Amino acid sequence: MNIYLLQVANGIGIGMLYFLLAVGLSIVFGLLRFVNFAHGAFFLLGAYLCFQCGEMGLNFWWSLLLAPLLVGLFAWLVERFVLRHVYALPHHFHILFTVGLALVLQEAVIAFWGPLGNNISPPDLLQGVVMAGGFVYPIYRLFVIAVTAVMALLLWWVLEGTRLGAIVRAGSESTEMVSLLGLNINRIFSLVFALGAATAGLAGALAAPIRGVDPFMGVEALGIAFVVVVIGGLGSFSGALIGGILVGIVQSVMSTVWSEGAHLMIYIAMAAVMLLRPNGLLGRAS
Amino acid sequence: MKYFVHFRFTLLAALVTLLLPLLVGSGSLATEVLIFALAALGCNLLLGYTGLLSFGQGIFFGIGSYTTGLALLRLQAPLLPSLLLAMLIGAAVALLVGWFAIRQRGTYFVMLTLAFAQMFYFLAYTMKDLTGGDNGLLDVPRPNLSLFGHTMLATTSPWQYYSFVAIVFVLVFWLLQRVVDSVLGRTLLAVRDNETRAAAVGYDITLLKLTAFVISGAVTGLAGGLHAMMTGVAPLSNIEYHTSEAILIMTVIGGTGNLFASVLGASFYVLIGNWLSTLWPRWLMLLGFLLIGVSLYLHKGLFGVAQALLRKFGVRPAADIADTTSVKEQHP
Amino acid sequence: MLNRRDFLKLSALAAPGALSFSDVFAQTDAIQFGCPVPMSGPFAANGKYADMGMKLALQKYGKVLGKNLSYATLDTEGKPATAVRKVQETMEKGARFFAGGILSGEALAMGKEVEKGGGIFITTAGADEITGSDCNHATFRWSVPTFGAIEQTVRPLLEKMPNAKRWYTITPQYVFGDGLLSAAKAVFKEKGIEHVGNSYHSLAEKEFSGYLTNAMAAKPDVLLLLNFGSQSSDTLRQAVSFGMKNNMTILMAWASGLEQFETLGADICDGVYFGAQYWHAIDAPFNKELVQLVNSNLKIEPNYSLAGSYICTKIILDAIIKANSTDPKAVIAAMEGMKYEGLTGTEEIRKSDHQVIKNYYLLKGKAKSKMRNKDDYADIISFGKSFLAPDKTMCKMA
Repeated sequence: MNIYLLQVANGIGIGMLYFLLAVGLSIVFGLLRFVNFAHGAFFLLGAYLCFQCGEMGLNFWWSLLLAPLLVGLFAWLVERFVLRHVYALPHHFHILFTVGLALVLQEAVIAFWGPLGNNISPPDLLQGVVMAGGFVYPIYRLFVIAVTAVMALLLWWVLEGTRLGAIVRAGSESTEMVSLLGLNINRIFSLVFALGAATAGLAGALAAPIRGVDPFMGVEALGIAFVVVVIGGLGSFSGALIGGILVGIVQSVMSTVWSEGAHLMIYIAMAAVMLLRPNGLLGRAS
Repeated sequence: MKYFVHFRFTLLAALVTLLLPLLVGSGSLATEVLIFALAALGCNLLLGYTGLLSFGQGIFFGIGSYTTGLALLRLQAPLLPSLLLAMLIGAAVALLVGWFAIRQRGTYFVMLTLAFAQMFYFLAYTMKDLTGGDNGLLDVPRPNLSLFGHTMLATTSPWQYYSFVAIVFVLVFWLLQRVVDSVLGRTLLAVRDNETRAAAVGYDITLLKLTAFVISGAVTGLAGGLHAMMTGVAPLSNIEYHTSEAILIMTVIGGTGNLFASVLGASFYVLIGNWLSTLWPRWLMLLGFLLIGVSLYLHKGLFGVAQALLRKFGVRPAADIADTTSVKEQHP
Repeated sequence: MLNRRDFLKLSALAAPGALSFSDVFAQTDAIQFGCPVPMSGPFAANGKYADMGMKLALQKYGKVLGKNLSYATLDTEGKPATAVRKVQETMEKGARFFAGGILSGEALAMGKEVEKGGGIFITTAGADEITGSDCNHATFRWSVPTFGAIEQTVRPLLEKMPNAKRWYTITPQYVFGDGLLSAAKAVFKEKGIEHVGNSYHSLAEKEFSGYLTNAMAAKPDVLLLLNFGSQSSDTLRQAVSFGMKNNMTILMAWASGLEQFETLGADICDGVYFGAQYWHAIDAPFNKELVQLVNSNLKIEPNYSLAGSYICTKIILDAIIKANSTDPKAVIAAMEGMKYEGLTGTEEIRKSDHQVIKNYYLLKGKAKSKMRNKDDYADIISFGKSFLAPDKTMCKMA
C-alpha cells in the first residue's frame, strides 16, 4: 500500500483522538466565551485517574468509564463554586485563573504520583494488531477510533437533537436571551463545563495506553487542542472534528515528507488559518 | 518637590536597584530580577496600558537573546551596539507579530500570540545553524562598556554587571514612565478601556496598538539581550512558551496599570521562586494558587496590596496613574 | 496566635536573601558542593535521584581533609540559562565543586560557567561536545558519549545477528541525535549494512505512529532507536503496540536504565535490546558496595541517575583526598589520569579530554516470568570500552 495512504489512515486515527480532546474546549468557548487554559489539565487528570483505577484493581473498562466521570464531577464543582465568580471579570482573568488552575493540577499530579511517567497496558482483548493488505494497525487504536466516533455521534445528537443541545446552541448566540426565556443559565454553564472537561478526561484515559501517563501531558494536550480549535473554529463542533482530523493527517504525512518539521508544520498551518480565515474553517465571528 | 512627586516611581525603581544588593546575596540573582523586571514592563505596557494579553513576550525575549548573542559572537560587536541591535530586532519582530495579531481581538488575539510563540519556538529549534538549536548559542561574551577604547564600566564580576544593568534599567524605566505619562500613554489607556469609543473619537487603533507592540518588543528584546550576556548563553528556553507564561505571570502578580508594579511582580517571582525552589520542588503549585487568588480577589496584584496597606497606615497613595476613574475626576 | 513581634521576626527570617543559601552553607569551613540538576520540569525524576546520589556520597564520606561537607541542590529546571545563573550564584557563595547536569544543553552551559569561576564540574550528560569541541579544564564527564554507545550496542548485536542487514533509525533532531546517527552510519558502512531509512523528529514529539509506519514500510531487520528519555519510551511503547517486535529486532541505543524499565514495564521490554551506561547487576566490586549501600539506606536498587551522581561526587572527593587540597587546580591535576575502582570496574579519567574511560553495556529485556525480583528487568549481554582516540575528539584544551 502506498506510504502516503498509510500515513493518511494513521493520521485519521490520531486525529480522532485530537478531536475528542479539543471538542470540549470548543464548546465551552462557544457557550461560556472564554478559553479554558486548564483544559489540558483535565486531559491529564483523566489519564492519571484511569491509571490510578487500574492500580487499585479495577479493570480497564471500569477505569475508562470512571475517569471521565470523576473529571467531569471535579470540573462541575470547580465551575459551580469558584469559576462562576470569574465570569463577570475581564477575560484576562479567566485566562489567568485557568492558567493558575492548570499549574496547581499539574503540580498536584506530581505530588501524588511522582515526576516519573507511568504505563497502562491496554486490556488483553484489545492487544495485538490487525492487518489489511500492507497496513498494520494496533487493535487498541482502532478501538480508540471507534469510541471517539461514537462520542462524536453522541455529542452531535445532543447538540442537534435534544432540548439541552438547543439551549446550548441558543446560549452560544445570546446568553441573555436564554435566561430571559426563563432557563437557569448557571446550571447549563456548569453542565457544559463539566461535559467539556469529561470529554477531555475521556481523551486522556483513552490516550494513556498509547503514550503512557506523565505529568506534562497536560501542557502538550493544551497546545494540540488550541491548534485544532483554532483551525476548526472556536465554538464549532464540526470544526473540532475537521480540525482534529486535519491536524492528525498533517502530522502523520509530514513524518514521511519532512519528519523534523512535523511540529512546525502544525503551527504554521494554524497561523495560516488564523490569517486567512480568522474564525477558523468552520467557526463564526465572535 | 514637585519633581520628586512627579518622578516618584522612577525614584522608587532606582531605590529598588540600590536595595537589591543589600537584600540579595548574589549579583546574578539581583541582575535576573532587573532583567525580568524589564520584560514585565514590556508586557505591562501591552496588558495594563493597552489591554492586550500577549502570550508571545517570550518571542521578543528569545530573539533579543539570539540577536545579542549573534552580534557578540559573529560580528564581535561591542556592548551597546549589541544591545541596541537586540532592541531593534525585538521591535521589528514585534511589529510583524503585532500586525498579524491585532487583526483579532479578545480571546482570538491571545490565541494568535500563543500560536506565534509556538511557531517561533519551532523555528528557532529548526534553524539550528543560526540559533544553536537545542544547545543554544554558547560562549556569549560579556564585553566591558567602553567608548573609543577606554573602559568606562567593567562588567566581569556579577556585581559589576549588575551595576551596568541597573543603570540601563533605571534609564528604560524613566523612558517608559515618560511614554506612559504622555499623550500616547493616555491614548493607549483609552484604547484599553473602550476600543470602540476610542475609534469613534478618531484614533487610529491599529497604529496605537502597533506602537505599543513595538515599544514592548524593544524593551523585551533588550531584556533578552542582557540575559544572554549575564548567563553567557542564548538558550532555546528563552523563546519557549514557559518564558512567555512566566513573564505574563510576573506582570499580573505585580499588578497591571502601573509600571512600578511590574518591578514588584518580577522581584517577587524571581526571588520567591528562587527561594522556594530550594525548599519544595512543587513551588509552582503555590504560584498557581497565587494566580487564582489574584484573578479572584487581588486584581491589582501586589501593587494593589501595597496600596491597600499604605491606605491602612493612613498614607494616601497618589492617584493611580492608570486608574481612569481618577482621570475623570481631574478633568470634570 | 502570633504576636506582632514574633511575626516580624519570622518575616525578617523569610527575607529571600537571608535564606537563599546561608543555612545550607552554615559551616563556613565546610567543603561546598553543588548539585545542579532538574528538580522540576520533565526531567525532575532524574534530578531527584541524582540529588539523592550526591547526598548519599557526601554522607558516606562524612569529613574530608578534616573538613565537613555540605551541598546545595540547584534546580536547573532543565534550562541552560537557569542552570548557569544558579551556578553563578552558588559560586559567588564559595562553592567550587559541582556534579550534575542531566541534559546536554545545561551541562554544556554550566561547564563553561564553572570554568570561568575556577571550579570543577563533572557531568553524566551525553553530548559529544562536552569532552569534544567544547571541552575545558573544569569539565569532566563520567558517561560514555555517542561513539562508545553505538560501538558497544550496534557491533555486538551485529555479531549476534549477522543476517540483520537492513536497519532503520529513528533520530531526535539535534546535535546529540546527529552524533548517534553519524556513529551508527559509520558502523553501517563498515559492516555493509543497508540503512533503509531514517526518521528525524523534534524533541517535543510524542506521537511516533507516523515514523513507525514509515519504518514498517521499509521492512528493516532492526529498528534502531536513537532518541532517549520519555521519547524513547514512547517510541518503544508505540512500536510494540504496532506489533513490530514480531517482525524485527528493536535496539534502543541510549536507554536510561532502571527508571525507564519501571516506566515501561516488563511486557514491553521483553526481547528488546537496550544500551545502558549502568546497570545495578554489574559484577564489579565497587558496584556491589554501592548496591548494598543503597539497598540498606534507601531500600531500592540504584538507578542510573542515582549511581551516576554518586560516582561523580565520589570522584571529586577522592581527588580532593589525593591532592590533599581543596584548591580546584590541584584537584583537577589529581583527577587527570586518575584510575579508580568504579561502578563498571576499573575506570580511568583521560587527561586529554577529561573523559572517564568506562564500559558501556548491551542489555536485553526479559520476560516477566523470568524476573527473579521486581528490578530484574534485563540481562547484560555484552560490554566494553569504546572511545574516540584523543586526536579525533576535537578537544583542544589550552
